[in-house]
Amino acid sequence: MDKPITLREELGIAWKIAGIRLRGQMAYRTSFWLQIFGNFFTNFAEVLALFAMFYQFDTLGGWTLGEVALLHGISMIAFSLGDLLTVGMDSVAPQIRSGDFDRVLTRPLGSWMNAATSEFSLRHLGQALQGVLVLGFALTQVEIAWSIDKALLVPVMFISGIALFMALFTIEAIFSFWTVNGVEAINAFTYGGSDLAQFPMHIFGRSLRFIFFWIVPVGFITYYPALYLLEKPDPLGMPDWFVLLGPVITTIFCAVVSWGWNQGIRHYRSTGS
Amino acid sequence: MYLELAKRSFQQQFAYRAATLAGLFTNSVFGVMLSSVYLALYWDKADGVSVAGFTAQQTVTYTWLGQALIMPVVFWGWWLIVDTIRTGTVVMDLLKPMDFFRFWLSRDLGRAAAQVITRGVPTLLIGALLFDLVWPESWQRWAAFLISVPFAVTVSFCLRFMMNLWGFWLLDHRGISSIMLVVSGVFSGHLLPIAWYPAPIRDLLNVLPFRSMLMTPVEIWLGQISIVHGLSLQLFWTTVMIGASYALLQVAERKVVVQGG
Amino acid sequence: MPIIDVHRLEKTFPIKKHRTGAMGSIASLIRGDNGGEFTAVNNVSFKIERGEMVGYIGPNGAGKSTTIKMLTGILVPTSGEATIAGLVPWEKRKQLAQKIGVVFGQRTQLWWDLALIESLELLRHLYRVPEERFRENLATATDLLGLGEFLHTPVRQLSLGQRMRGDLAAALLHDPEILYLDEPTIGLDIVAKEAIREFLITLNRDRQTTVLLTTHDLDDIERLCPRIIVIDHGEVMYDGQLASLKSRWGGRRQLIIDYAGDPDAAIASMGNGDMAVTEVDGPRVTIAFDRDEISAPDVLTRASAFGEIRDMSIQEPEIEDVIRRMYDGSIPAGM
Repeated sequence: MDKPITLREELGIAWKIAGIRLRGQMAYRTSFWLQIFGNFFTNFAEVLALFAMFYQFDTLGGWTLGEVALLHGISMIAFSLGDLLTVGMDSVAPQIRSGDFDRVLTRPLGSWMNAATSEFSLRHLGQALQGVLVLGFALTQVEIAWSIDKALLVPVMFISGIALFMALFTIEAIFSFWTVNGVEAINAFTYGGSDLAQFPMHIFGRSLRFIFFWIVPVGFITYYPALYLLEKPDPLGMPDWFVLLGPVITTIFCAVVSWGWNQGIRHYRSTGS
Repeated sequence: MYLELAKRSFQQQFAYRAATLAGLFTNSVFGVMLSSVYLALYWDKADGVSVAGFTAQQTVTYTWLGQALIMPVVFWGWWLIVDTIRTGTVVMDLLKPMDFFRFWLSRDLGRAAAQVITRGVPTLLIGALLFDLVWPESWQRWAAFLISVPFAVTVSFCLRFMMNLWGFWLLDHRGISSIMLVVSGVFSGHLLPIAWYPAPIRDLLNVLPFRSMLMTPVEIWLGQISIVHGLSLQLFWTTVMIGASYALLQVAERKVVVQGG
Repeated sequence: MPIIDVHRLEKTFPIKKHRTGAMGSIASLIRGDNGGEFTAVNNVSFKIERGEMVGYIGPNGAGKSTTIKMLTGILVPTSGEATIAGLVPWEKRKQLAQKIGVVFGQRTQLWWDLALIESLELLRHLYRVPEERFRENLATATDLLGLGEFLHTPVRQLSLGQRMRGDLAAALLHDPEILYLDEPTIGLDIVAKEAIREFLITLNRDRQTTVLLTTHDLDDIERLCPRIIVIDHGEVMYDGQLASLKSRWGGRRQLIIDYAGDPDAAIASMGNGDMAVTEVDGPRVTIAFDRDEISAPDVLTRASAFGEIRDMSIQEPEIEDVIRRMYDGSIPAGM
């Protein structure tokens, strides 16, 4: 027991924790399904807006309903699963304020893993489910000439998308190590980012594109993979291999965020607040 | 006394400077994003073509009005009354020699007035800097719009007030919360201009009170509706919503008395 | 080798300049806070041997929690050294967590929405406690703390006393060598307090678990801790046996005499250094005396000269008084 804990063990523990918490929530079956249903219902508005727009218009920046729906589906799935895996991050700010964050540091787990597992809820499955439905709809509307490289792209796309949103939700928590005010500005990047990733990037102006490609790289997680799957030329004129930038930039982004998290923990451990 | 309450809520709002700046930033990012999306819909249309009554420029103006009014009108969860029910202060409030509905309404109007200044006007100015917006064509329309905003806030308040009382029955407001989001997001016209929806949905939303929260003020601004028509529509729905709020409050009060709080 | 060895531990906090907003936080991220410092723990040293039960006491803001937080690895000290069970806490936080149990009286480590048993189950995984050991420990805790009746109740529905018992069981699941308790009896009724104290005594006796406890409740100290460390303004003011603190510095015992009627007024000036009248309240007179100088019967004999005595009682010096006097500065620090 004196050995330091390995990442694999941490993941195993996190998995077991999720299992127990899920069982706990399933005990209140009605409430459980109501939450998932409520989440589904809430996010239904997003889908409704998509269809209503295409009821009046034929194309959006030259893209058809099916093509935009593809972006919607990918973004919704990545966002909701990223959110699902980091629900605990929401409670970091209140825990710091109440002093309960000390708890996180008295346990034999890494601080991030511990904070992330401090809360668990499946309600975001409602949105994920909707993403799957929208994606399914998109696939009936667009022609994709499947090939091995495209098939390989799909898991990479989802994993980097989920990781990116997990990192974004972590940023919100990182800020709360220093301040309680104005943290909601991050919403522009989390919620704003997921909304933005539901549309083709070329319709946005230079400054938004810059922010959402190179600072918060959500543009890379739906737009380039979708172009690649659809074999559309990039109206922004970027080369084909840009599709590979998604995972690379996400990795860099996650590394920066994890550095930021460690700085936050260091700050907390030196000031206790 | 209610004026005093309103004044105090008004002043309170100016204390949250950081939150205000963060909120303005968020509203602006969303404003730019949504404007870009809407403009992209008009790419293949000739200049000045209107779709379901909206030209591209009008749609962008609608977007920024929507962002500017998000905070004053409140289009999502607001559970302050439910919170006082949970903490128990509601009993004290009910016992005070005052009108419970007016107590909350006056505070809410004060808050809204402050947020028109701190959030509404700046957001609209940012929108005007970045995009070419449509402005009301006459001073009468400006005046009518200014009158229509408090109506919008009041209708929104009544909706929130009733949702809170309902939450009081269910003790858990998470379920209603999602209904609330759809009602005030979709039904008010905040998500998309109501005219864009397919006929059955559009017709339904047009006869519901919730369009007074945003769509009617926007139409007054854009000149899509006559001033008299727009304002009288809002006046009518405001009256109905206030009446409904009082009716529900009476039932709720009786329940509080029976339960002894 | 002492299990807790603290040497010249010091912790200073920056005094926060108020910066607001995301921009402000970015600014402090880059430049760091700078607005003076405040020393919460100053040059604290002590050693605790395995199996000791030590009370760590002091007024609010004395630096108790800050010390505990450093000894659990939550906070990194500004300077100084500490070895806990062979580990430097702030360097080996995760490994140390396996060897210590922590109970914060006002906060729970259980999950509000889960039944107690599920919370314990969760902690079992978190601390990688073998199934069999978990069962044994759970059985012992259930037995000694009477968890049985609420094992399947959601934590949010537990009373404070039940929750505290649950928290204690939770902190001990992984057989920690050291148990830190921060105000373990705060807010509990007398019966619950007694149950917790009883349990801690058994634990310490049977398992040799080292216990370091901070408390405001001096009854806890009297019942549990043969040794106390008193801290104030971040510095150790006393470290030693509770008994010797009381006998050496506990000062005087008090004799309270009830006369049949009001005693002779001259009683107020009775005594000469070995005893003194501290209060005259109608027929009730309080006399403080030093038991090394004069015995209680002698005091009584002399007091009987001032009137007919109907009743009397002796009060031992209370730890509260001792410590209060210590804070007032009437006892030299470091003794």
